[in-house]
Amino acid sequence: MPDEVAGKIISMLAAIKHVPVEGITLDSSLQEMGIDSLDTFTLLFDLENEFHITIPDDEAKSIRTVNDVVVGVKRLIAAAGDGSSSVDSSMSAD
Amino acid sequence: MPGRRVAVTGLGVICALGKNTSEMCSALRAGRSGISPLQLVDPAKLRFQNGAEVRGFDPGEHFPGSLQDHLDRFAQFSVVAAREAIQDSGIPFSDELREKTVIATGSCVGGQTTQDTGFVDLYQRGRGRVHPLTIPKVMANAGAGHISMEFGITGPAFTVSTACSSANHAIGQAFQMIRSGAAEAAITGGAEAPFSLGLLKAWEAMRVISPDTCRPFSKNRLGMILGEGAGMLVLEPLEAARSRGAKIYGEVVGFGMSADAHHLTAPSAQGAASAMRRALSDAAIEPQQIDYINAHGTGTAANDPTETRAIREVFGAHADRLAVSSTKSMHGHGLGAAGALEAIATFLALREGFLPPTANYAEPDPECDLDYVPNESRPAQVEWALSNSFAFGGLNAVLAFRTHPR
Repeated sequence: MPDEVAGKIISMLAAIKHVPVEGITLDSSLQEMGIDSLDTFTLLFDLENEFHITIPDDEAKSIRTVNDVVVGVKRLIAAAGDGSSSVDSSMSAD
Repeated sequence: MPGRRVAVTGLGVICALGKNTSEMCSALRAGRSGISPLQLVDPAKLRFQNGAEVRGFDPGEHFPGSLQDHLDRFAQFSVVAAREAIQDSGIPFSDELREKTVIATGSCVGGQTTQDTGFVDLYQRGRGRVHPLTIPKVMANAGAGHISMEFGITGPAFTVSTACSSANHAIGQAFQMIRSGAAEAAITGGAEAPFSLGLLKAWEAMRVISPDTCRPFSKNRLGMILGEGAGMLVLEPLEAARSRGAKIYGEVVGFGMSADAHHLTAPSAQGAASAMRRALSDAAIEPQQIDYINAHGTGTAANDPTETRAIREVFGAHADRLAVSSTKSMHGHGLGAAGALEAIATFLALREGFLPPTANYAEPDPECDLDYVPNESRPAQVEWALSNSFAFGGLNAVLAFRTHPR
């Protein structure tokens, strides 16, 4: 069964770096992809908007690979909702 | 660079450390931070809680009702600081001098609070229009305009907007104009009043604001704290200042600028070093003559080690004999006012014979290994100093000062 969250995240990264999605895997390193500090701000902003989650600063600093992002987002989605992977849950401050 | 020597004869300030230079000086000497829980914006809507706000500012104490409506908070700060600086200087403004006085101010976002209010009216309340004075209140040059009107200054007047380097760029330009003879006096500095929800949200999104306090150069630093206020300096030719018996805080002796050509937000040690070297060269002084640097020192992960490396690159072995402190630890990051607040902090402290500390210093960082004057001010007789400002966009401005300790 395709991983919907991972698919969306890979699409976001592809859009930020203007590269085809086929070139990005879960093992891809963000640094090797050329994701710099500005790209990171944009990625976090897009993730929070898409999945209605709030990503704390210290969690944001520890991501290294695409899989780190997927795992972190899924954890925040689960924590925000009732334990299901619903993407409608929200912890947004506003 | 040859030219006339340029004296600093008046200082005026309003910021989190106080309503005037005397209050600011006491706070600097005590190492007292003005960082506290936000009151101007509801922190429940933000991921950070604290700022360096000007407390208890009542525009009614400074402006008649009719004029208050014409001035955004940042322009009010500009005028209040300019008034103190001009009074402090005792400069006798004749009609002739007014024509030859330059006003050069810095501001990042100008009347941001007014703009925010207008947007709330338009987008949230669905009103069909905004306040008719929105444009002249929002414009970043409003401070300079109002200063010129209040004091009848008809010389060159302009505002510089280079993010966190705005005030240093403005002061540097004013310095060059007096040195060259293009102006006979200057009112120069910067002002910022960034505490509106929209702007704070924009800063929040960059994840560089500390969730607690500002700890420049500490290993456990977590980012910057925003500050507000204004700082204004009066500059005049040293000879003119001496011949009228003016109080002289010191001199501006050099100005160095550079662009990193590197990254939109991340700093570059090469760019910073280049600006410092150019300031020294412009002042015709050797690195070994510098005893104190008022650092840009924002307390972010990126700035502090980069600035440290740049200082080591410029000063070599002498770096270990320098005192380097970040007064942003006390008055916050004043953005367009930063360079002015820091110039004033430097002149106030060094004239009184002490080094302002880096407050909230908790844990040494191996990547930041200079003497940051941690937590407590220290007596010192310092003659030559630098003040650094490094902005987003990689735009750097460094001022070199000669102080006249009492």
